[in-house]
Amino acid sequence: MGKRSIHLETKDAIIKFALLDDILNLARANSLWPMTFGLACCAIEMMSTAMAKFDLARFGAEIFRPSPRQADVMIVSGTVTKKMAPLLVTLYEQMPAPKWVIAMGNCAISGGPFLFEDQYNLVEGVDLLVPVDVYVPGCPPRPEALLEGLLKLEEKLTGKRRFPTPEAKW
Amino acid sequence: MVTDILEKLKTTIGAAEISEVSYEERGYHISVAASKETLHNVIKFFDDRKFYFEDMLCVDYKDYLEVVYFFNNYRFLCRVKVTLKVDPANPHVATMSGIFDGAAWYEREIHEFFGVVFDGHPNMGYLFLHDGIEFYPLRKGKVRIPPEDRERLAYFKVDEQEDAFTVNFGPQHPSTHGVLRVVVKMNGEYVEAAEPVLGYLHRMQEKMGENRGFMQFLPNTSRMDYLGPMSFNAAYVSAVEKLCKISVPERANIIRAITIELNRISSHLLWLGAYLADLGGLTPFLYVFDDREQINDILERITGSRLTYCYMRFGGLYNDVDEKFIEGTRAFIARMYDRLKMYDTLVTKNVIFINRTKGIGILDEEGARKYGFSGPVLRSVGVPYDIRKTEPYAAYGRINFDVPIGKSGDVLDRYMVRVHDMEVSMKIIKQSLDMLSDGPYVAEKVPKKMKPVAGDVYQAAESPRGEVGVYIVSDGTDTPYRMHWRVPSFSNLIIFPYLAPGTLIADAISILGSLDLCIPEIDR
Repeated sequence: MGKRSIHLETKDAIIKFALLDDILNLARANSLWPMTFGLACCAIEMMSTAMAKFDLARFGAEIFRPSPRQADVMIVSGTVTKKMAPLLVTLYEQMPAPKWVIAMGNCAISGGPFLFEDQYNLVEGVDLLVPVDVYVPGCPPRPEALLEGLLKLEEKLTGKRRFPTPEAKW
Repeated sequence: MVTDILEKLKTTIGAAEISEVSYEERGYHISVAASKETLHNVIKFFDDRKFYFEDMLCVDYKDYLEVVYFFNNYRFLCRVKVTLKVDPANPHVATMSGIFDGAAWYEREIHEFFGVVFDGHPNMGYLFLHDGIEFYPLRKGKVRIPPEDRERLAYFKVDEQEDAFTVNFGPQHPSTHGVLRVVVKMNGEYVEAAEPVLGYLHRMQEKMGENRGFMQFLPNTSRMDYLGPMSFNAAYVSAVEKLCKISVPERANIIRAITIELNRISSHLLWLGAYLADLGGLTPFLYVFDDREQINDILERITGSRLTYCYMRFGGLYNDVDEKFIEGTRAFIARMYDRLKMYDTLVTKNVIFINRTKGIGILDEEGARKYGFSGPVLRSVGVPYDIRKTEPYAAYGRINFDVPIGKSGDVLDRYMVRVHDMEVSMKIIKQSLDMLSDGPYVAEKVPKKMKPVAGDVYQAAESPRGEVGVYIVSDGTDTPYRMHWRVPSFSNLIIFPYLAPGTLIADAISILGSLDLCIPEIDR
């Protein structure tokens, strides 16, 4: 713990077929299945995102799989404690590649509001355990923020943004 | 009644120091300082008089440790604090789990965080913490865990047996509503034993209470129970107001009641959806979230957040409500009545649902007393006990409502009590909106730095899950010396290992879901 560890995991295939890869990535980006893995408060907002008002299904990511073996993306929604850390790593390793991680909320990013001197039970950021692709800040982030995070992940996969960027309000 | 108890106590147990305390200032009526010799008799005395086990905690006063027990009664309000001084060099106390079964888990918790050993306790293993903790977390100063205690705390091990197999239920399981882990020992399709393992979300809230100011701790209360944060807000704020003698304006009290009840409805709705999803009906989940979003929109306008509200301030509120909020709330209530009718036809009259819930997980009042569970779980056995009635906080003292109770204490009753609870909440909101008058929404001259009097205070409130209590010990500085939370889910979960054996695994899940657990609250 403490030191940022380096993950020596190859995320890409060894042999590349340019056009086929593009097509595969496009398909993957439009069907990112998250894992049903709520840790804390953010999990409730994650549920809200999946429900009718915000409708995660528009982006092809509504199928929450309870089993890690059927999931593409792990949304770490909540505080990761030291007791939970080994389990989280196990779950991550059980996911078949290619796999991605979204760190949702301040706890998963850095420990958030529960960080203080001499703390004894907190993992200060889930990126100490698993490689993270997208960080979604907030305590808890609004569902719109999580949707934006998902779009960012799609952008990472396909190289271009699927929807126009919303206009800034101020 | 309080004087009667006091007299009887003095005649029965002469050796202990017994004193009457001002309830308005402290939140409890009688304080008993027991010694090691008298403790058993004192607790037996309250057990004989049908008191229920409310809370148990420990405070480190540097020179000595103090184990504190709280008892209260369902029939009349009489909260009793029993204290026992323990030598920190040799912390041994006789266990009370023989008299009040619920104490067993509280004792395990105290043992982990303070190192007090309870002699005669059946199981002293880890409950919350992980292996690798070097110091007792809640002791002042760094006290190392001695090696013999480490062995006692040794990691939870599943005992192997012939023809029985264990199933790990959780921590990543949709039915555990978060990160609860239950190790279930199965014999074929039947549960033989269930052992919950907690602490996967232990976020050190009580430790944070000791190193943050009174004001700085406010946001933590809403992270503790993210489904019903308003009640936790109210409990904490009321406790500090009691401690610092701040009076709250009328308008603020009424708005507090409205927001707490709105939050209660949204919490019960989420429970309804999640519980039916546990039983295999996924459709209600979509419906309840539709209603929840309405409440979120109403509350977001005034509190600024969708989920973890931090709306209350010492002596009032963060923000005033406006006409739009009142109109929105009225519209929501009108709509909610129709929705409840719809839930009634869709769920309550559903044959499959009734068959899955009727006659399993039966509880009784005696069990409630011994285990100390509260809220809808308690009211389902027919005890009309509600903190909003017995110890009115916010504006509940002036509102006319009745407490829904069940008859048989089974899972279906718990469901019905919660559904009726929503109707009661709507009634309360309606009355409060009519009572709303102009005036200030925050008390004047609330100091930035709190100046509490030295002493302790206990404040209870009714959260959607049951009785939440805050116990704050103050030493006169602007940070609490010790803060303890009595959380309803923890007490409600204690009965699961007692209910589960002998049931089918599907029924066990139904029972677990009906307790309405909120894991961050259990783990704190």
